[in-house]
Amino acid sequence: GGGGGRGEGGAWRGRGSDRGRGPGGRRPGGRGPGGRGPGGRGPGGRDPRSKPGGRAKVGLNGGSKVIVEPHRHAGVFIVKGKEEALVTKNLVPGESVYNEKRISVENEDGTKVEYRVWNPFRSKLAAAIFGGIDNNWIKPGAKVLYLGAASGTSVSHVSDIVGPEGCVYAVEFSSRSGRDLVNMASKRTNVVPIIEDARHPSKYRMLVPMVDVIFSDVAQPDQARIMALNASFYLKTGGHFMISIKASCIDSTVAEEAVFANEVKKLQAEGFKPAEQLTLEPFERGHACVVGGYRMPKKQKAT
Amino acid sequence: MLVLFETPGGFALFKVLDEGRLSNVEDLGKEFASPDSARKMVKLKAFDKFDNTSEALEAVAKLLEGAPSKGLRKFLKANCEGETLAVADSKLGNVIKEKLKIDCVHNNAVMELLRGVRSQFTELISGLGDQDLAPMSLGLSHSLARYKLKFSSDKVDTMIIQAIGLLDDLDKELNTYAMRVREWYGWHFPELAKIIQDNILYAKSVKLMGNRINAAKLDFSEILADEVEAELKEAAVISMGTEVSDLDLLHIRELCDQVLSLAEYRAQLYDYLKSRMNTVAPNLTALVGELVGARLISHGGSLLNLAKQPGSTVQILGAEKALFRALKTKHATPKYGLIYHASVVGQAAPKHKGKISRSLAAKAVLAIRCDALGDGEDNTMGIENRAKLEARLRNLEGKDLGRLSGSAKGKPKIEVYDKDKKKGSGGLFTPAKTYNSAADSLLGQTSSKSVAEDSVEPSKKSKKKEKRKNKEVEVEDEPEKEEESKKKKKRKKAETETEAVEVAKEEKKKKKKKRKHEEEETSETPAKKKDKKDKKKKIKD
Repeated sequence: GGGGGRGEGGAWRGRGSDRGRGPGGRRPGGRGPGGRGPGGRGPGGRDPRSKPGGRAKVGLNGGSKVIVEPHRHAGVFIVKGKEEALVTKNLVPGESVYNEKRISVENEDGTKVEYRVWNPFRSKLAAAIFGGIDNNWIKPGAKVLYLGAASGTSVSHVSDIVGPEGCVYAVEFSSRSGRDLVNMASKRTNVVPIIEDARHPSKYRMLVPMVDVIFSDVAQPDQARIMALNASFYLKTGGHFMISIKASCIDSTVAEEAVFANEVKKLQAEGFKPAEQLTLEPFERGHACVVGGYRMPKKQKAT
Repeated sequence: MLVLFETPGGFALFKVLDEGRLSNVEDLGKEFASPDSARKMVKLKAFDKFDNTSEALEAVAKLLEGAPSKGLRKFLKANCEGETLAVADSKLGNVIKEKLKIDCVHNNAVMELLRGVRSQFTELISGLGDQDLAPMSLGLSHSLARYKLKFSSDKVDTMIIQAIGLLDDLDKELNTYAMRVREWYGWHFPELAKIIQDNILYAKSVKLMGNRINAAKLDFSEILADEVEAELKEAAVISMGTEVSDLDLLHIRELCDQVLSLAEYRAQLYDYLKSRMNTVAPNLTALVGELVGARLISHGGSLLNLAKQPGSTVQILGAEKALFRALKTKHATPKYGLIYHASVVGQAAPKHKGKISRSLAAKAVLAIRCDALGDGEDNTMGIENRAKLEARLRNLEGKDLGRLSGSAKGKPKIEVYDKDKKKGSGGLFTPAKTYNSAADSLLGQTSSKSVAEDSVEPSKKSKKKEKRKNKEVEVEDEPEKEEESKKKKKRKKAETETEAVEVAKEEKKKKKKKRKHEEEETSETPAKKKDKKDKKKKIKD
């Protein structure tokens, strides 16, 4: 009798708790009807310490003390707290491009500097830097041609790195992503959005001068040809390139290493001099990043 | 040979000074390594500047389609006499050759040449430095991107959100000022506040008359109705308000002007909002109306944000306070929010408002998504859905009416057609028409079986003429009615069957009263009811 009663009471409590969660589940659209204006996830954007939409970093919580030190590559910084993260200096302080975390640090002279966290799982360039490439040619003041800009999440970080003296020419063919890219570019004056097919570089010849670096993340089977065509138009002699190769996109039947080797050969045939190849594990599977030079002047033999 | 080079600032024509070097393609790059050597290779011949960004956009857009724009054609015609032109795009070259009869060339050497020119062109074109070029390039790229994305400034939903915010603000302000006018002028002429209820008419009247003494002389027929005018004039004479100076009246009049101009502007703003809503979200407007649609968009933040919400959210948008209170206290959640003010929901009866609001919300989200993400420019989808909703509303209301007017339950079962059936009328739908002797005149009939039958009937008929409140009469009425209705039963079986039917009918009577079957029965039922009531009365007595 008593045990049965208790059992029932417990069961009832269980159901009650379900009921407690139920209405929560029925809540419509999260904070959607908050009506905070076209800021999308307004609270997330406004609060620099709030958790980002992607993988929430456990260590870098609001209020924790962090140290920011420059990375070996110019323009990139590392923030050290409980966990380490790659950051770039925000060109437009106070704004998040894709709801990433922002970190404000005070200088000795009292000025505040804001940095944006760069997620290597979302950006191939960040993955390459994390992986440890020897030379990063995307540096402050450089002119960069970025093929495959998508919605502009990586492009924003490149724009942070090159700073106001440099310029990023972002090429993206898709209209949906292009819209986001243009919106992002309207806030950053060193990004030139180009909504064109990268296969036809002559279509944007009136917008792009000679550039120092070409970064390519197009994920197309004829990547090498696209890169070569663009380089012949816009990459200066002695300029550099970085290309992210997705093995499954080029040829999914052959082994990865074979695909990468093939692509490197193709690039060499077009006048590129690949200097290093780096796999993007553990951030991306089946990806490699190749960095090198273009039409490098032949080293004079010391006599 | 001339080289056509496009920049964000304009078109440039370079003359190749040393054509011999062109044959050596690999070393061409070296020629452009420094500005001086570049200047030895090519020289700027002419430069056609774009006047403004729109001209640049137009020229470049045409170029991308493969056709030279007017400006370019003029430029080339003026400068390219007798020379070959090196172009970056072979298609463009072909078109130029066709239209302007200028020979165009496009090959590796040309590409290298262009490369070289591009690397040095800030030096080669004296008037165009790096700093000038950057903003031009930026502006041109943004315009081009917008052109490509078919960015139409009409379709921006920010205007809607601002307009509806302003509309609400205006309403508040208008009310505040109108109240202030009433209060202020009420010092001078308090009775007017009660005579004229409408704010705008009040302001107009005050503006017209100023001091109440003038009321008697002036004609208010454009503003007020005749009785009101008469009342006003009467009250003006016997008013107990104080005197006010001309300066005060001047200020009051200014305030009235403000009120009137605000009211006029509000009307204009509403028209603007309506036209914008029809451009930005035609389907949503067709479904819920302009005002409700604009409020929904404003509540959601933007049309795209609203498109991401599910139908259940749109249904209760605007009732968040009630919603979360109900969720916290485990009560019933609200059934409608902003959607309540849509005309379809307004038309529905109170107990159907919830259902219609849910259906409307479901269709509304489809319309919103169509507007936000689709390519269509018209409102066909919205109108179709609205028709569906109105049909549903009619259906809902029809169900109620159906309940009142009876249903098919209790109607005689329609038999399945069987051609070999022997009973009844056999394979016929309707029984074969037979002569109905009941309709015969019965005067002077001798007694025979048929006569006996007939005599039974007239007796029954006569009994029918008696007061129907008698139950026995009803029992006998029924066989008559059966015959009169002359459905499936043959006349010879009439009596036996009527008796059987009688019994059945008695049983039916004893059961709960069902819906009407035939006209006779309906007329019966009130009689039955009366009978029952009488019975009860008798019992009580």
